[in-house]
Amino acid sequence: MALTAETLEQIQGEPDWLRGRRQSALAEYERLPMPSRTNEEWRRTDVSRIDLSQLAPPAHGYGAGLEGGGPLPSGVILQPLGVAAAEHADLVQPRLFSLVRADRDRFAALHAAFFTGGTFLYVPDGVVIEQPIIGRHFSSPDSTVLPHTLVVAGKASKFHYLDEYIAEDDQEAGYRSGSTEIFLGEGAQVGYVAVQKWGRNVWHFADQRAELQKDSSLRLFNVTLGGRFSKTRVEASLVGQGADAELKAIYLASGEQFFDFHTLQDHQVGNTRSDLLFKGALQDVARTVYAGLIRIEKGAARSDAYQANRNLVLSDHAKATSIPMLEIDNNDVRCTHGATVGPVDPISMFYLRSRGIPEATAKRMIVQGFFGEVLERIPFEHARRLVETELEARLG
Amino acid sequence: MATVPKVDVGTDYKEKYGFFVPEEYVFKAKRGLNPDIVKEISWMKQEPEWMTKFRLRSLEIFRKKPMPRWGADLSVIDFENIFYYLKASDKQSKSWEDLPPDIKATYDRLGVPEAERKFLAGVSAQYESEVVYHSLQEELTKKGVIFTDTDSALRDHPDLFKEYFGTVIPPADNKFSALNSAVWSGGSFIYVPKGVRVDIPLQAYFRINAENMGQFERTLIICDEGSFVHYIEGCTAPIYTTDSLHSAVVEIIVKKNARCRYTTIQNWSTNVFNLVTKRAMAYADATMEWVDGNLGSQITMKYPSVYLMEPGAKGDVLSVAFAGKGQHQDAGGKMIHVAPNTTSTITSKSISKAGGRTSYRGHIKMYPDAKNSKSFVKCDALLLDDESRSDTYPYNDVDAENVTLGHEATVSKVSDEQLFYLMSRGITRNEAETMIVNGFIEPFTKELPLEYAVELNRLIQLEMEGSVG
Repeated sequence: MALTAETLEQIQGEPDWLRGRRQSALAEYERLPMPSRTNEEWRRTDVSRIDLSQLAPPAHGYGAGLEGGGPLPSGVILQPLGVAAAEHADLVQPRLFSLVRADRDRFAALHAAFFTGGTFLYVPDGVVIEQPIIGRHFSSPDSTVLPHTLVVAGKASKFHYLDEYIAEDDQEAGYRSGSTEIFLGEGAQVGYVAVQKWGRNVWHFADQRAELQKDSSLRLFNVTLGGRFSKTRVEASLVGQGADAELKAIYLASGEQFFDFHTLQDHQVGNTRSDLLFKGALQDVARTVYAGLIRIEKGAARSDAYQANRNLVLSDHAKATSIPMLEIDNNDVRCTHGATVGPVDPISMFYLRSRGIPEATAKRMIVQGFFGEVLERIPFEHARRLVETELEARLG
Repeated sequence: MATVPKVDVGTDYKEKYGFFVPEEYVFKAKRGLNPDIVKEISWMKQEPEWMTKFRLRSLEIFRKKPMPRWGADLSVIDFENIFYYLKASDKQSKSWEDLPPDIKATYDRLGVPEAERKFLAGVSAQYESEVVYHSLQEELTKKGVIFTDTDSALRDHPDLFKEYFGTVIPPADNKFSALNSAVWSGGSFIYVPKGVRVDIPLQAYFRINAENMGQFERTLIICDEGSFVHYIEGCTAPIYTTDSLHSAVVEIIVKKNARCRYTTIQNWSTNVFNLVTKRAMAYADATMEWVDGNLGSQITMKYPSVYLMEPGAKGDVLSVAFAGKGQHQDAGGKMIHVAPNTTSTITSKSISKAGGRTSYRGHIKMYPDAKNSKSFVKCDALLLDDESRSDTYPYNDVDAENVTLGHEATVSKVSDEQLFYLMSRGITRNEAETMIVNGFIEPFTKELPLEYAVELNRLIQLEMEGSVG
């Protein structure tokens, strides 16, 4: 079926302002054309085979709570987004879909019109939460699954949050998204990890965008494993001096998987820092596209930005494209970027083989070593263990 | 001798290195572009029928192709307000003495005769759209090397010409290669026979010298097996009040074991749109090197490329861009790896100043057959003030197994420590910055023949003067 105004009418219990917002996103969705391959962002990303007139009804199951359970510190709000929209409209209304905009393209509009719930997290000024907060989203093959996360970090707050996207059935098909907006107040310190492990036959579109005020620091870590097609945009706007964004990701593409990553490090003011590292391993006939941009705006003096994309190509037929871009409008900056695409280093391989390690095992060790450097940057233990376990199972 | 007429020749260009010689044309085509003008150009040149047809077909392609929507803003180009063909004198001069006096005056200012005295192989000077002065040392002729203007090559070496012309860059490649294919005039033609090494660089000076004047030169270089040649093109141009378009096509074929180096110092006046397609095909164990310096023009879009067609081919691009006030240098390189065991490097150095913008735009493509190939790209950008801008757009596509591809880029300003060190030695800020800039591009200058290196340093000095500090 196609998702229409009738689909929206079935969504109950949301305040009028949110209903209105969904309706205007629906209008965008109906107005916007499918992205064409003449558009640079979509040139290497083929969406012509998505049939948006054949989507399952939107729905998904989800929950969130502290790791190991227990009560949240007072003042912290952790609610389903629909509930928070009614009970805390003052916090949600000005922010929801202000970073991840509905009018960006047809898929973003689809997500904003029909998002199937998700988590709202608000941490008041000065509150520090030691245990990470774990959000889980579950899909089923008969649903279109469109989770949305909205995180608001008060001044000098400090906490960790994990979004885990879990498939009921590893071979499921269908349409998925998983978008996140993170607002960091002055001096806030946030660790955010997203682990996408939908089934191997789904279409997945995600937008993760953060806005960093003065002296705030974000450590964002993205893990992409699932989907036949997965397109993820990871973007950070540094709007306050002293803001610091670390954007890291790993991806493991095998079989016929296609992964697309677009990143943006937007330094709007000076004395800001961003550090990006996306590392991927490709097997079989998988294909990946990485395109990232560092943008230093005119007044953003003394910004420091780093961007790197490293691809380890494990098979003869896998294909990696890497496009690291810079747009620098200020001279008093330090900007570096790098990209590599290459096979397993034959010297490392020879070394391991000469120690009697079988080729398959040696290859796995090399991949683990390749990811090891960046796994250490996962901001908290729970997520690190989760990712390590996942990788181990998949590299088997 | 020419007198300098009262024409608004811009501001600083004239004081620095611009000059002006009045127009004196034997034939001046009408403005604008249509099949009649294309036929007229072909008729004037008494070309064979296949070339007339080629031009007309290219014009069709040009009309159908949309303007590129990426890169610099080209919307201000008015194709109907351009002269597509000009001929400065009736026949080609065989010696310096035969040149018309005003043209001689132009070259006196450029130092061409001196250059010749310095044992340079041949001077092929393009004044307006056609080569008018051309000399070739007998030594080269004896070796079987052909070094002539492209129009003469079509006349005198029709078979060789037809075999290669338009094979590296077909008219349909892009909008501006189609335009060039329709209205091309002049340029250099070089053929180096098997096993012949040309020890001295072959040079050509290009000049634009008429208001609203288009330069569409076409260069074709064929290095036969095991040969070597170094070709140098350098450009300076007097400034005029309305925009000029320069859209050249350069095709190079480097056969087995041959090596070709193509050096450019582009210093068009800052009203010129410089939209050039340069491409080489490198065959087994051949080497192609582009040494590309872009200092002038209002907008340059130029990405010298090498197609690595057979095993062992090697491609190199060494590129320097300098963008001052109002300039946008959108330059870079392309390496297309088609065969196994091919290697390529691109080194790009760019400097932006006084609101200028430099963009590195590159493409590395490894096709499935390009096994065991390697490519490395390094881009360094220097921003001299906070009004200027630098961009990097590298496209890396890997489709082959067991290949290594690396890309690195840095953007920085002139370091305070270096400035402090130099200034503490009594050097003025401006001089210190000039020294630092010259140091920054040294990997480029050291690849140039001495007189070009000196000229480049001098140009950088002129660009740096006054406005910094």
